[in-house]
Amino acid sequence: MNQGPRVAGRDHIGTALRIPDFIISLANLWHRRELLWNMTVRHLRGQYKQSILGYAWALVMPLSQMLIMSFVFSTLLHIPSQGVPFPLFLFVGLLPWNFFSTALSSATDSVAGASSLVTKVYFPREVLPAAAIFTKVVDFLFASLILVAMMIYFGHAPTWTIAWVPLLFFIQFLFTLGLSLPLAALNLFFHDVRYLVGVALTLWFYITPIIYPVDVVPHRYRIVFDLNPLSLFINAYRRVVLLDDSPGAERLLLGIVIALVTFLVGYFLFKKMEPGFADRI
Amino acid sequence: MPTASNDKAIEFIGVSKRFQLAEGRSLREFVPALLRGRGWAPPFYALRGVSFTVRKGEMLGIVGRNGSGKSTALKLMAGVMAPSEGEVHVYGRVSPLIELGAGFHPDLTGRENVHLNASILGMPGRDIRARFHDIVDFAELRDFIETPVKRYSSGMYMRLGFSVAIHSDPDILLVDEVLAVGDAAFGEKCLAKIREFQERGVTIVLVSHALGMISEFCNRALLLHGGRVVLDGPPQEVTQRYLELMHADEVAVS
Repeated sequence: MNQGPRVAGRDHIGTALRIPDFIISLANLWHRRELLWNMTVRHLRGQYKQSILGYAWALVMPLSQMLIMSFVFSTLLHIPSQGVPFPLFLFVGLLPWNFFSTALSSATDSVAGASSLVTKVYFPREVLPAAAIFTKVVDFLFASLILVAMMIYFGHAPTWTIAWVPLLFFIQFLFTLGLSLPLAALNLFFHDVRYLVGVALTLWFYITPIIYPVDVVPHRYRIVFDLNPLSLFINAYRRVVLLDDSPGAERLLLGIVIALVTFLVGYFLFKKMEPGFADRI
Repeated sequence: MPTASNDKAIEFIGVSKRFQLAEGRSLREFVPALLRGRGWAPPFYALRGVSFTVRKGEMLGIVGRNGSGKSTALKLMAGVMAPSEGEVHVYGRVSPLIELGAGFHPDLTGRENVHLNASILGMPGRDIRARFHDIVDFAELRDFIETPVKRYSSGMYMRLGFSVAIHSDPDILLVDEVLAVGDAAFGEKCLAKIREFQERGVTIVLVSHALGMISEFCNRALLLHGGRVVLDGPPQEVTQRYLELMHADEVAVS
């Protein structure tokens, strides 16, 4: 249909995306890191600017979640927690989950939310979802302070295996970005997408071992958990942070493959849909 | 594909741009349309088979009534849209002055917005830092640069946006009805800057209803009507024809 109109200068919208273009746009992202940084700052400022507690909200939310959930699921329902104090067990799952779910929903809205920019000036659009996710990385780091406080409170000293966390987080980040790129693009074409993401996240929370350990899941249902990347990530975090264990080479490799494939496919789809963005807003 | 070592700045080859009007934004509208065996509403052509070339250092004016395709042409040049048919080639770095300050965030200070806006326009960080003072001085906002821009007047806001855009070192500047920024004195300054750009060989495309400006500044003009190029020639001739066209339409209506 579109007869290959190519535009000179890569900082532009072309219509036919070929594999070399894809590599080039990946490399171009590095040149626009300044933009990514400034966009992230813009998000962060916008997020808590009008509130009295400001950045403290990044702590209040997960803290209250942890207290309430611990009361309901441990005190009332006696859910086991792999021999670790339940609040600690819960929080190590809750932290990466909150990052994932807030990042995914915010990134899904990011391109539609910047419509005035998208219709006026060209810049690599993937900066928008990426900046939305980086904003949530900051929230994640803030909320991690609570975990540190909890480990001190429960006298649960971390072991050297905690050094796996940056790698695990990077894998999770890549997966989150890869998943949110096509969603952010599709959200421009169908506004239903943002609601679908909301519903999907609510359900996803319950089929991920956050408030319960994966050991309580009967074997015939295990397949759901083996296929769920979030389950993979959260189990790995628990092993390295709480259980003095390594993530396991096989599972680590699986996580890397899932994250990498998700990212590459997601990014490719995003770039494919990108030329239509301004038409759709 | 032509090489960049020619004297062309912008080239449109048989460009058409099609839009789906009344587009379904939700699956509720899309799925029934699909089931009925046809996609969306019939397409609307904003541009039809438009071809022209802008040489390096030229200042091109584009005139036409509302809906004639001017803004679409500018968006294709800015690279935010892709043509439905034909080819658009742009050689060099484009800086759009379309609706100033679109990238500003009200809660950020003037300083932070300069960095944000300049990086959106593709300025590398070291260039932004090097030209920061020039940008602020040109906008005459030195005393307010640490103030959140939501406290700015609309004039201050636009001055800052204009200043960032012209300091982004473009090869091609796209201007859409924005030279009416700020007061008369600032307007003069902007026009002087445009002249300076012309002398430096920057290519400028100006979309405006201010016909006086087109005939004064541009060395060539395009008249768009119904998505087609009706006339491509000297500005005086084009603006004259535009006025005739407007008049003819009025007569036709009455």
